[in-house]
Amino acid sequence: MTSRHPDSSSSPRTAGYYHLTRAVLYREYLIFVRYPANAIGGIVIALFFFGVLFYGGQMVAGQALTDSIEGIIVGYFLWTLSVGAYSSISNDISSEVQWGTLERHVMTPFGFAPVALLKGVAKIVRTFLTSTIILAVMILITGTTLQLNLLTILVVATLSIVSVLGLGLAAGGITVLYKQIGNWLNLLQFGFIVLISAPAFDLGWMRLLPLAHGSALLQRTMVDGNRLWEFTPVELALLIGVAVGYLAAGFVVFTYATRRARRLGVLGDY
Amino acid sequence: MSVTGLAKRFGDGTDAIVAVDDVSFEVEPGSIVGLLGPNGAGKTTLIKSILGMVLPDDGTVEICGFDVYERPREAYAHVDAMLEGARNDYWRLTVRENLRYFATISGVDPNSVRERHDRLLEQLGLAEKADVPVRDLSRGMKQKVSLASVLAGGADVVFLDEPTLGLDIESSRTLQTELRRLVEHEALTVILSSHDMDVVETVCDRVLIMSEGRIVADDTVDSLLSAAGLHCIQITSTDIDAEVVSTFRSRFETVTADARDRGYRLEVTTDSDGLYELMDLLRASDVTLDHVRTIEPDLEDVFVELTTIDRRDR
Repeated sequence: MTSRHPDSSSSPRTAGYYHLTRAVLYREYLIFVRYPANAIGGIVIALFFFGVLFYGGQMVAGQALTDSIEGIIVGYFLWTLSVGAYSSISNDISSEVQWGTLERHVMTPFGFAPVALLKGVAKIVRTFLTSTIILAVMILITGTTLQLNLLTILVVATLSIVSVLGLGLAAGGITVLYKQIGNWLNLLQFGFIVLISAPAFDLGWMRLLPLAHGSALLQRTMVDGNRLWEFTPVELALLIGVAVGYLAAGFVVFTYATRRARRLGVLGDY
Repeated sequence: MSVTGLAKRFGDGTDAIVAVDDVSFEVEPGSIVGLLGPNGAGKTTLIKSILGMVLPDDGTVEICGFDVYERPREAYAHVDAMLEGARNDYWRLTVRENLRYFATISGVDPNSVRERHDRLLEQLGLAEKADVPVRDLSRGMKQKVSLASVLAGGADVVFLDEPTLGLDIESSRTLQTELRRLVEHEALTVILSSHDMDVVETVCDRVLIMSEGRIVADDTVDSLLSAAGLHCIQITSTDIDAEVVSTFRSRFETVTADARDRGYRLEVTTDSDGLYELMDLLRASDVTLDHVRTIEPDLEDVFVELTTIDRRDR
């Protein structure tokens, strides 16, 4: 990056990715603490739906539901994380378009895609906080015991939702191109329920889908107490491979879509 | 900054719209260039093409020696823009937080430009509001925050789209003064698009006038005013009625008519040849003149004349 002309009263220093990361995370933090209503509202809604699922399921399925409650809690925890990761980029782009700030993120020496990705990561950090609160309340109201090895949960859950972040990046690219489609793309997050509950170990190819393999590993971590080093190298390699693969694919779609939007002259138009 | 052979067309075949048509110009560092044009003239597409928001069909743009399309990241390290009026910053952050965030986004460590931010806040009258969320400010204040956040990173070249929109006269003048100061003291280069002719006439060193995708005039304000050779005549007469006004409007491009208690007051802008025609028309209409005076034509008259001639000649 080239530096700007010297200021008459101070000498500007070039910002690196460290400064960018700090700025993006700090902005997310400020909005989180200054306007907590959105986060609290999200937590309440997520817990309301879990309550309906849990108490309604108990009335219908009785003991059968109680026997599988650990799996449901882990799946629901991963789903809330996935929804946050997926919608982070496309929702963010829609908001930036409406605020008139999108162009300023396109016109950055860091590049639009890296900035969009970083903003997505910042939202994921926030989602981890809210999803952890949701997890804690779910454990409390159901009286369930889960194995909470933080390191393993953090690594497996993060790698699981990185694949969804890739999907979110692709959806964000499509949102740049067709602004109004963003809300419809959000409906895809209900498809994550299918991916999270997919029988990844019964059908081998399903492991290649986003979330499926990660969900299975997270279940073994939180229900069976597996540690990170207890997974086979193939299982871990697949987890990483799926994460990187979908993220790279999302990056390519995002880059192509934004270039196409610039060609059509619709970048920033709503 | 140099723009060479820039062209952009939307759509194909007979439905194609030529938004920018072979536009070339250069901008010297440390100057303010006004970009004028009627709605649909291609100003926004031109600005967005220069900034790489729209990819042109043809042409090149260099900012501080970097090709915007080949090396956008290097070019973006030198440029910033206020494209959407008041809404191009975060209303939920405070004024100072916006300045720090957008300085970082534009590639500058915000701690290294803290003094610059203090000075900008002071000069734009925002110092007391530095820690107030932007959403709690008045429209004029928000506009100033937008400008401050664009200048926060110390860009060499800034694009300002309607920077004085919504500002009261005093705020608008403060902003104009600050712009001139930045240009003169910090060699800032400004490309300013505005419908406010007074602002353009006051602050711009040079003006580009666009019509239907092309630049139809590129000169200093003084040269444009003198080269146009326009005369603005104000005529007041009780003999002027609606029919005479209609006749004048059919013969001259720029006519404003104010109805009086009896008769009308007309302002007609025309060139030297048109003056003779004006006199002939008054005589033919049996109009006795109560009062005649000449008015110095302004940039708006030149702008209307040039864009009207361009449209008529196509």
